[in-house]
Amino acid sequence: MAAFENDIESTISRWHSITTPNDPAKRLAAELAQTIEAFEKLRGTLVFEDEPAGFETALQATKEQT
Amino acid sequence: MTPLANLSLIEAADAVAQRRTTSLDLLEACWANLDATNPQINAVIWEEREQAAAAARAADEQVASGAPLGVLHGVPMAHKDMYYQAGRLSTCGSALRADYRPTITATVIERLAKAGAYVFAGLNMAEFAQNPTGHNKTYGDCHNPWNLPYITGGSSSGSGASVAARFNYMALGSDTGGSIRLPASACGVTGLKPTQTRVSRYGVMPLSFSHDNVGPLARTARDCARVLSVIAGHDKFDPTSSREPVPNYEGFMDGDLRGTRIGVPTNVFLDDADDPVVQAMEAALLVLEARGAVITHLELPLMDAISAYGGIVSRAEAAPIHAEWMRKDPQAYGKHISGRMYPGYAIPAAYYIESLSRRGPILKEFARQVFSQVDVLITPTIKTCLPTLEETDIDHGPPGTETKFMAVSANTRPFNYLGLPAISIPCGFDPNGCPIGLQIAGRPFAEGRVLKVAGAYQSDTRYHWERPALLDNMGASP
Repeated sequence: MAAFENDIESTISRWHSITTPNDPAKRLAAELAQTIEAFEKLRGTLVFEDEPAGFETALQATKEQT
Repeated sequence: MTPLANLSLIEAADAVAQRRTTSLDLLEACWANLDATNPQINAVIWEEREQAAAAARAADEQVASGAPLGVLHGVPMAHKDMYYQAGRLSTCGSALRADYRPTITATVIERLAKAGAYVFAGLNMAEFAQNPTGHNKTYGDCHNPWNLPYITGGSSSGSGASVAARFNYMALGSDTGGSIRLPASACGVTGLKPTQTRVSRYGVMPLSFSHDNVGPLARTARDCARVLSVIAGHDKFDPTSSREPVPNYEGFMDGDLRGTRIGVPTNVFLDDADDPVVQAMEAALLVLEARGAVITHLELPLMDAISAYGGIVSRAEAAPIHAEWMRKDPQAYGKHISGRMYPGYAIPAAYYIESLSRRGPILKEFARQVFSQVDVLITPTIKTCLPTLEETDIDHGPPGTETKFMAVSANTRPFNYLGLPAISIPCGFDPNGCPIGLQIAGRPFAEGRVLKVAGAYQSDTRYHWERPALLDNMGASP
């Protein structure tokens, strides 16, 4: 996990010139591992025929018909 | 007559219009309760007494002149301190904007003013609207009027607390992951997050432009209906605002729920919920059933995707807004915000684009599966009994505090990614005397139906009229 955290910190530093501001930031950055896992679980499970599609179009398409 | 401080927004506006009271009297009732309670709850960042009194006198002169009046004429209001008003302070709850005076005025402020309302104060909020609890490092934490050590919910903390403490008839909040509904729930008031794009965001501090919404916190669903009718609609200054026609939302509130199909999710929303919260929701369902609603329990689809994608969008969009300050002065932020914002800089663009591009198809599929079965969904707004400020204080708490902190908004965030309208109304109290909120969500642009269900419930219950004991203990006006 330490290697992952270090990767995240160096990525943010390199791309944004932002350094880790505090300990909660370190812990929350480490939780990006869970974000990646969540994306991995979704891979291949969702197929939409109309993808990509605009969100505003979807709002109109799904609104209540009066 | 009902004492002025206890009036709903609509009652206050009607009392002025019918010359049963004056705008100045309403304002003085607000000041009396603010002076009595705010030293305890810390809901206000700035106030403008002379300017507000002048506005009240002008409103009263207009009534005396017999001129046509707006539907909110003469009602004093205070809003979350992130609604820009040209020349006025707008701190956004941060030390970084302690002296910020914008040169533009938010469209929603203009529309409320056109309806006759005026502003008397700026309300406390989570720093840059980025926490669900009401902590604020710079202006001090906002305290729950019902039980001071407990959270108000956030990020519109002062909005919820001020309405609960009866010194504000209506406050605008903003909702990116629950920031209207959470303080409404925690403070025992009514808060409406409209459909994404329903209300202009021009002149409103941005957080996550895909998820940000503007909406009211007030005593009743009918109050929220009136405000929404005033502030909704296309705005040329906000090209993302919808051109969908704006109905008279109060017209939907006939109390007739016969045949209304209410869905109660069996997954996610009640996971790890506390018993008092579940019991309050079940009791509320009985009230609605007695009005003719039909209750259905159903499993909601796509919740893993909604959770994963929604979190990416919010974090990725918030990060660049603050990048310059995070480079130059990161310690000016509370740990609440800088800690949570920091991982956003590491999210790959491909993840963000995937999350955003699938939002439309996911909404369509969710609506196809869910709204073919039910008209609205009902869940607890916050699934646990309220935590204390201390238990959720990332700045001073032990490692792991941030996890407890995020659980507060677990039930509200999904409706931001989906863009659906959702309201929180009071439906009971937990064992600590803190309010419990009921969340009602509907299809896109179905605010009328959501308000109809909420209004019907409030016709048969009194939770929205309950007052914190603090008001009596502090000698506030009845």
